[in-house]
Amino acid sequence: MVKETHHFPGLKPDNSARREFLRRTGAMSVLASATPWAATLAAMSEAAAQTATDYKAIVCIFLAGGNDHANTIVPYDDASYSTYSRLRGSIGLPLSSLTPTLLKPTIPLPGARTFALAPALSPLLPVFNAGDLNVLLNVGTLVQPLTKTQYTNKATRIPPKLFSHNDQQSYWQSSAPEGAMSGWGGRMGDLLGSANGTSSFTSVSVAGNAVYLSGQSTAPYQVSTSGPIPILGITSPLFGSTACSTLLSNLIRQPSNQLLESTHSAIGARTIDLYGQLSPALAGSSMTSTFPATPIGSQLAMVAKMIAARHALGTRRQIFYVQMGGFDTHENMGSVTGAHATLIGTVADAMASFHQAATDLGVSNQVTSFTASDFGRTLSINVGGSDHGWGSMHLLMGGAVSGKGFTGTAPVFADGGPDDIGQGRLVPTTSVDQLGATLGKWFGVSSTDLLYVMPNLANYSVKDLGFMKS
Amino acid sequence: MIRPSQPDIDSPDRPAHIDANVNPRLVKTHAPLAFAALLLSACGGGGGDSGGTTAATTPASPPPADVGAPAVESRPPAPPNPQTVAGASTTKFTSPANQTDVARFFSQATLGANRDQINAFGTSTYDAWLTSQFSQPLTQSHCSWMTANGYTSVANLFDGLDNSLWRKLISSPDTLRQRIVLALSEIFVVSANGITGYSPQLVVGHFVDLLEANAFGNFRTLLNDITLSPAMGTYLTYKGNVKSDVVNGSRPDENYARESMQLFTVGLYLLNPDGTPVLVNGAPVETYGPDDVTGLARVFTGWDLDTSNFPIDDPRVYQIPMVPRQKDFETGSKTFLGSTIEAGVQSAASCAACLSQALDILFNHPNTAPFFSRQLIQRLVTSNPSPAYVSRVAAAFRDNGAGVRGDMKAVIRQVLLDDEARSPVVSVAPGFGKLREPMVRFLNWARGFNVTSASNVWGVGDLSDTVTGIGQSPMRSPSVFNFFRPGYIPPQTAMGANGLVGAEFQITNESSLASYVNFMRRAVAGSGIDDVLPDYSSLMPIVADSSALLAELNTVIAAGQISTSNLALMKAALDTIPVTTPAGIRFRINASLVLIMSSPQYIVQK
Repeated sequence: MVKETHHFPGLKPDNSARREFLRRTGAMSVLASATPWAATLAAMSEAAAQTATDYKAIVCIFLAGGNDHANTIVPYDDASYSTYSRLRGSIGLPLSSLTPTLLKPTIPLPGARTFALAPALSPLLPVFNAGDLNVLLNVGTLVQPLTKTQYTNKATRIPPKLFSHNDQQSYWQSSAPEGAMSGWGGRMGDLLGSANGTSSFTSVSVAGNAVYLSGQSTAPYQVSTSGPIPILGITSPLFGSTACSTLLSNLIRQPSNQLLESTHSAIGARTIDLYGQLSPALAGSSMTSTFPATPIGSQLAMVAKMIAARHALGTRRQIFYVQMGGFDTHENMGSVTGAHATLIGTVADAMASFHQAATDLGVSNQVTSFTASDFGRTLSINVGGSDHGWGSMHLLMGGAVSGKGFTGTAPVFADGGPDDIGQGRLVPTTSVDQLGATLGKWFGVSSTDLLYVMPNLANYSVKDLGFMKS
Repeated sequence: MIRPSQPDIDSPDRPAHIDANVNPRLVKTHAPLAFAALLLSACGGGGGDSGGTTAATTPASPPPADVGAPAVESRPPAPPNPQTVAGASTTKFTSPANQTDVARFFSQATLGANRDQINAFGTSTYDAWLTSQFSQPLTQSHCSWMTANGYTSVANLFDGLDNSLWRKLISSPDTLRQRIVLALSEIFVVSANGITGYSPQLVVGHFVDLLEANAFGNFRTLLNDITLSPAMGTYLTYKGNVKSDVVNGSRPDENYARESMQLFTVGLYLLNPDGTPVLVNGAPVETYGPDDVTGLARVFTGWDLDTSNFPIDDPRVYQIPMVPRQKDFETGSKTFLGSTIEAGVQSAASCAACLSQALDILFNHPNTAPFFSRQLIQRLVTSNPSPAYVSRVAAAFRDNGAGVRGDMKAVIRQVLLDDEARSPVVSVAPGFGKLREPMVRFLNWARGFNVTSASNVWGVGDLSDTVTGIGQSPMRSPSVFNFFRPGYIPPQTAMGANGLVGAEFQITNESSLASYVNFMRRAVAGSGIDDVLPDYSSLMPIVADSSALLAELNTVIAAGQISTSNLALMKAALDTIPVTTPAGIRFRINASLVLIMSSPQYIVQK
């Protein structure tokens, strides 16, 4: 049976309200389980949706494999750089290469700590200096605040399966390891999606199925980088036969009592129906900004196109997911140039283009992007690469972001330092729960509803990291 | 907060048939009904609150026969009368009762079969067929074929690999081996997408050749051969892995240590012999922790390509096992999984002995049998095997009956001959079966209709793209975690509500579903995939009779799983395509294949 981590014990489900909720969200055919919080959710959604009259979008840029944060946001002050340089050896970025991309925040970090963008991230330096980019320091998966001592003593709860790719990807996105069925993007969609004329486009992936986008009622929509894909045997006669086309459509969406068949049919029905909605909306919208011809560039271009079509689609709150792989750099990372620099440079180029596109569309204050990844990596190296870690550095981008600054606490880079649990793996000092809650508050989720989105939020005294302007 | 990677679908309140394997009569009579009742009651009290579309307890009215009418399909067929079933055989299902049974067996044991192969099964037993397949010789290897056809370029190209993979998956007569190899390639994952350096396609081709050579061998040998393969050494980055350096603080790469435990042998959580997680105070127990990974990583040091006879850019380097590079071997003792390998010395023999001991520990760990067995069942038969089924396969892994552990033939036999795989009664439970993978569907058609490549190029290519391809292609996984995870639960579904996993749904979405149907539409018409073309001669005599045409496709492609009412709908639609011209004949065949192969009743293998 389904296990859920969040409950609202004070509120009993009311079946009539639940049916109404299911009817209204179009979830009847896919939501077959008895969900005790559904009535609560419906009421929460109703209240939240009334406040959402403008447009806002959150874009998750997932760097699959575990991005090497130390060669992305590089410690620059003397003490930190000294440790970095010693432990990184051949893959360490020379200090001179970092000087042009030294980050000079409006409010300096305590202790004269400084960081530089890796040279490959230089396309994002102007975004930072313009006040539209913020660096999130030492963020990672947690259940509750944790110190190194508590980690060592093993008496405090920590996320399961640290350092495991699939489980930490899942935990980042959902607050549960692999097997989770809803993520915090989708749960925000549960609350705010009913503001949308077409709630099917509340959560959208341009990069395959991701638990981040699934809610209790919010089903992610998958769009390709070239838009929604028509089933050609339906949009035109199947080998000359309109009767066969009609039947093809009916078979693909045919309900069934066989549970796997019914699951496939539900996806089939969405494929057919949503193509019919999205295709004309995209055709009637204009997005002329240019993007690099990379997979991540193409994905973000499609996000921009869907944002451009927001009026035609009637969308007011959207959560997008894009992804790039290849970040599991155990070897051959390179330094100023090389494999890792190419990876993050590709991301930076695409992000800078996306920010420009949002500006061109007049929604730069309404679109907030953030990077995420399985985990950070070790500071010490294998031969030419780094291993799976925990806390990491990430980027927050958009006109509503309080930019030209840092969020969180700069970790101490030192062998056996207070943040180092071995080989330079960082204990996170900021949690994904806090990140999601801060984004959710900006998105319009009420402070009480944030507990639905981020179930562990109650464990933190700081629930708003303050990186959004309002 | 900790949840098992395999959701506890196998909790003690699972239906009776799971625990009733001691009583075959019970298995075949009451159990599926109990299973169905459980599933239905669990999903919202018969579906009332959910609109009744996915869980109606009473069969819907037969749909009208006119084309295009809303087709609410009532499945499964009415549960068999227990009296009738009880009167049937109470021994194992040793032989097919009809050709539908043969086709269903082939849907699990092969990548597709044509009419002649179905007919040729005759009165054989399933066991005898397996025996004959086990003795099928290996056919020309991937490396041999790529070399013979000029694909030995050191450049980073994979066209020869894709071609050779499709060549064998479509046409190699050792059909059981090909299916097992594809399954193994999705458990012990190497992907062409992660291989760089010299002769990358030979690196991957050699790996598949190793899977072929070991498919009917022993798991321990398989584990050794893949561990020493240049492919795995490259893909999981322990080729050239070196011991710790106390001066600069570098450590052995932990990549293979972690993934070989998590994905290839023991898995994340301690398992019972039936594959269910061991629970202590209600929580699963982690099989290993970070220290175990660090310990095992010290084993996988000191291995590198064998360049003793050939230069580094010679393609032959990539078709032989890696060898010890003793100066890089971590000689100190290694502790992991509760075992300690004593300190060795800086020698090739010590390096090799250490590796052998480590692989023995992984091979003999109690988890390995159920962990691997469950996954092989999921690749071949059903996404949600009962614990009893897993237990029986795991038992065969532990002991083939002659005291041998890890005998792949014994494991494969039990997976495919088990009552839960063979029983036509179990198969109609509403949660039974698996989504056929997109590449397996393509192969079902290709093998079903004798697809050939006149040029012998087999230029199907990489089908990974979700716009132009089918979202999946052999040896093209996005990561070592395969195309999908065994524990994936499709969100917001009755499957999820009932705790049923469905790995293949992880790559099923609005893009891949549409691109698959579009790709098959091109493929069956013989357009768009090079000179890879089908032979429909077996259909020509019956094409004028749409019912006969559909009956044939239902057997050959769909193992008889298209319902009578859907066949009627299809007949009415196909009859609108006149077969008075050669083009019309071909159109009707093409359309019939697209309709069948786009139907969820086919797409879900039961």
